[in-house]
Amino acid sequence: MPPQSRSTPDLHDSATPGTDAGTHHPGLIVAVFVVASCGLAYELIAGALASYLLGESVLRFSTIIGTYLFAMGVGSHLSKYVDEKALLARFIDIELMVGLLGGLSACALFLIYAWAGSPFRVSLYALVLLIGVLVGMEIPLVMRLLHQRKQAFEALVSRVLTFDYLGALAVSLLFPLVFAPLLGLARTAVVFGLLNAGIGLWLTHRYRAELPQARALKLRGLLVLAVLLAALAWAQKLTDAAEAGLYGDSVVHRETTPFQRIVLTRWQDDTRLYLNGNLQFSTRDEHRYHEALVHPALAALPQARRVLVLGGGDGLAVREVLKYPQVERVTLVELDPAMTRLFRDTDDLAALNAHALRDPRVTTVNADAAQWLETAEGPGWDLIVADFPDPSHYALGKLYAVPMYRLMARHLAPGGLIVVQSTSPWYAPRAYWCVDATLREAGLHTAPYHASVPSFGDWGFLIAAREAGYRPPSALPAGLRHLDARTVAQMFDFPPDMRAPAVEPNRLNTQMLVHYFEEDWSRQMR
Amino acid sequence: MKRRDFIAGTGALAALPWLAGCTPAAPLVTVLRPGLREGHALREAAALPPPSGELRCGVAILGSGVAGLTAAWRLAREGRRDVLLVDGPEPDGNAAGSMLGGIACPRGAHYLPLPDPGLVHVRELLADLGVLTGGLRDDAPEYDEQALVHPAAERTLAGNTWHEGLLPTSTAADAAAAARFNADMAAWSARRGGDGRPAFALPLAASSGDPTLRALDRQTFARWLEEAGHTHPPLRHYIDYAMRDDYGARPDAVSAWAGLHYFCCRRGRARNAEAGAVMTWPQGLSALTAGLRRVAAVRTLSGHAVALSERRSTVEVMVQTADHRTVTLVADRVICAMPLHVARHIDPALADALPRTALPETAPWLVANLLLDGFPHERPGADLAWDNVVLGGQGLGYVVATHQLTRVARPAATVFTAYRAGWGDAGEARRWLASASEAELLEFALADLDAAYDHRWHNRLRRAELVLRGHGMAIPAPGFLDAPARALRDRGGRVLHAHADLGGLSLFEEASWWGERAARQLLG
Ligand SMILES: Cc1cc2nc3c(=O)[nH]c(=O)nc-3n(C[C@H](O)[C@H](O)[C@H](O)COP(=O)(O)OP(=O)(O)OC[C@H]3O[C@@H](n4cnc5c(N)ncnc54)[C@H](O)[C@@H]3O)c2cc1C
Repeated sequence: MPPQSRSTPDLHDSATPGTDAGTHHPGLIVAVFVVASCGLAYELIAGALASYLLGESVLRFSTIIGTYLFAMGVGSHLSKYVDEKALLARFIDIELMVGLLGGLSACALFLIYAWAGSPFRVSLYALVLLIGVLVGMEIPLVMRLLHQRKQAFEALVSRVLTFDYLGALAVSLLFPLVFAPLLGLARTAVVFGLLNAGIGLWLTHRYRAELPQARALKLRGLLVLAVLLAALAWAQKLTDAAEAGLYGDSVVHRETTPFQRIVLTRWQDDTRLYLNGNLQFSTRDEHRYHEALVHPALAALPQARRVLVLGGGDGLAVREVLKYPQVERVTLVELDPAMTRLFRDTDDLAALNAHALRDPRVTTVNADAAQWLETAEGPGWDLIVADFPDPSHYALGKLYAVPMYRLMARHLAPGGLIVVQSTSPWYAPRAYWCVDATLREAGLHTAPYHASVPSFGDWGFLIAAREAGYRPPSALPAGLRHLDARTVAQMFDFPPDMRAPAVEPNRLNTQMLVHYFEEDWSRQMR
Repeated sequence: MKRRDFIAGTGALAALPWLAGCTPAAPLVTVLRPGLREGHALREAAALPPPSGELRCGVAILGSGVAGLTAAWRLAREGRRDVLLVDGPEPDGNAAGSMLGGIACPRGAHYLPLPDPGLVHVRELLADLGVLTGGLRDDAPEYDEQALVHPAAERTLAGNTWHEGLLPTSTAADAAAAARFNADMAAWSARRGGDGRPAFALPLAASSGDPTLRALDRQTFARWLEEAGHTHPPLRHYIDYAMRDDYGARPDAVSAWAGLHYFCCRRGRARNAEAGAVMTWPQGLSALTAGLRRVAAVRTLSGHAVALSERRSTVEVMVQTADHRTVTLVADRVICAMPLHVARHIDPALADALPRTALPETAPWLVANLLLDGFPHERPGADLAWDNVVLGGQGLGYVVATHQLTRVARPAATVFTAYRAGWGDAGEARRWLASASEAELLEFALADLDAAYDHRWHNRLRRAELVLRGHGMAIPAPGFLDAPARALRDRGGRVLHAHADLGGLSLFEEASWWGERAARQLLG
């Protein structure tokens, strides 16, 4: 936590007294520290919130920061117009306003997103702009205030800068390590709002002699403080309600990991997993997806002993794999340890995958699956399940390119199969058939099939093998809910309105898949 | 923007010592000056310990840059097994690579454009290394897509936003100037001389000798651009960047012939990539030098040559080994694959033929490998690309070493390689490099990143490896086509020379061509 107003840091180390900025006005210098901390905090909060709610984190984060910096520039320009005589009073006003707006920013955004939906982006950027302008005014005003109080300019600049930096540093470390995980975004924002308001109030008190309207200011300050304290008390309830509104159901688990935001919701018997706001599964129909992902391939491999699952830390694919008694070893490679921990150690969640991740046949590796595969050794796999995120940008598109499939093929045991989740052949037909073309370009024989998963729509998969001759299985393990020999056979049928369009394979250097995927889905979104 | 200006004005580096006191720690800085000590010792003719041994070989290759390694590869391919390679002070030379925090990155050259059919040796070499995967003799062969640059390839910071590509086209005026320039270059690219050869080709020696074209070598590129009306400032920023990036000098110090050559010499195509595509590897072109070493499987001596003398049927080379012994190398033939300013001190035939003043000026370069424990926050606009250039910036931008990797998530750490060249007068720039403190060098290296990111990116910086190349490359100044160094090509005797310096353009294809040529001459 940044130091509070009473514990003034020792500022007398080097310069001679009198010329040393801050000697007579330590309060203002402390204000710089707090102001800098808060300024950065609001920016980080808005950025983090936007990427959790909207996804596409890098782009979102960078546009937020860009807007914020721009607004700060505007603010510092506007600060010129603040009347020299009312400098301190205006500064205090700004502190109170920043405190109020910044402090309530996260709560407000959560609520808007959950209940208002569409104007979210506009509100987000408007709020970021507004806070940015106000924050941008702060430092120039402090500089002028100190200047008014006859501080030597050079010493002043360096002092202010030092504390500006220190404040930024403190928050950039504390935000991801302490605040966000401990308090959550909404309460973190309120805490910083309280700091801003606190500075406003404290300055009102300290300089009450100079301030003609000290009482009015104080009153305003106390009001803001009261609102923020109320918000602090209610923030959690508010965001819970908002997240529930957002996801429709009540949130039973939320966690921010270095990789993603994990949210689990439950309503009656329906549990849903969202990663960065994107639905991963609903227990109502996940069996359709996971049965379709695993059985058409694995039931056709009576000799299968070793199965590799890439992605899918929820363990649901592994659950299906374990239905084959002849399978001796399953290796699950999932990036996020929090995911595998959650689905192994939390009883009600582990129940969803039938405690698959605790099965002695299963080994869990927390690593980047692509990197892991590059260096993996040992005998080949009879089945490789590639359950990667959709190819929505260039980095993910590479997981669906020719070299990746060649690499997987090298890790296959003789007669082994690969199965790839490959987006929707209905919504994104060119993307789906591009994955097929890519597997064939990698020298593999493919068998395209699809299943209806109500939460996602018609969903596509591809089985690929080094040798031709794959036949859909005629017998399946007992206890499946969606698949039997007849539905499996039907999955391989594509009606005339779903025939393969002409597409190019996905190459690392052209990334056609990402283009197809983007274009196909944006056509759906109209 | 007051608050940001403070930050930029005082330099975010001013805060580094401050940050050092807290966490994160200041980056660990290493400064490398490859070849500096050995080169200066040669210049000052420092005394040597007496020879402690003698080695025999058929061919001694002195220098293991692209030229030396290509020669070694060609000799091996033709069945010569009696070759000894003397690495010199920097194995792989300007194409060397590095490893920072487990991440491979370049220390110099980092990309190679698609070679056109005339560059037979480059294509053969790429085929041997498994980079060219089919259609060796086709107009458009197939290349390993792992090596072809993945999107997004390039972006430019102009104003406050990143734009895709290098050539600025965001306003109508920019686009018009760019289109006119491109059309002009396309016309020059198609142009042939009176002798029927292309005006500009690689290897340089395949370019037309037509005097009207060669006359371009008598003026500066800046002058030529003025006269041709290519004066739109954003376009000029781009051209200025291109010249500094490839020749280490600004258009006013570069021959118009060389300037046009840069834009018009490349016509390579690929079956599986767009025209104009380039190839790169995380470790830069050291992927190719490493490949050449592997394929050539040549015996290597770690040390550098200090003198050579031609006997009646042999050449004696004095080599100072890495463990400070002096060894006499007795070879039938020698390929001298070191820069000319070094070769002058070693090959007595050169001392007179090539007075110091006859050598072209060389451009100093600074290559900075920066290990980051995460990706900095980006400003609005185009996403992080492989090559990231600040339009009108002080440096030459930065490339991302992890760009070509396939990963489910962004790697936890990466290396950005920032380049600087072509600042001020070459001699002064070199002196500055020699005298600047570590902190000054670091600040200098980070200029473009400081322009691209808000100061907090420094919190991500863990290590910095600064590679100082005082004589990075010969500058193709006006008149370079007739430089006396060209006489060396046909020095005759038992000693052959091979280095990019011989042609005067520092490019992989050129360096490699001189190695190829020396090997061919030697094979007869
Ligand atoms: C920073 C930088 C970036 C570049 N980027 C690119 C690029 O992206 N693409 C491209 O095509 N080109 C690029 N170039 C140019 C390219 O790297 C060079 O043209 C090429 O590597 C030169 O190879 P070379 O063999 O002629 O000489 P050098 O690389 O100069 O090699 C000389 C060799 O001689 C050895 N040597 C020196 N002294 C002695 C001695 N006394 N005894 C024995 N050996 C000795 C050295 O150890 C070294 O191995 C770049 C150059 C620089 C400097």
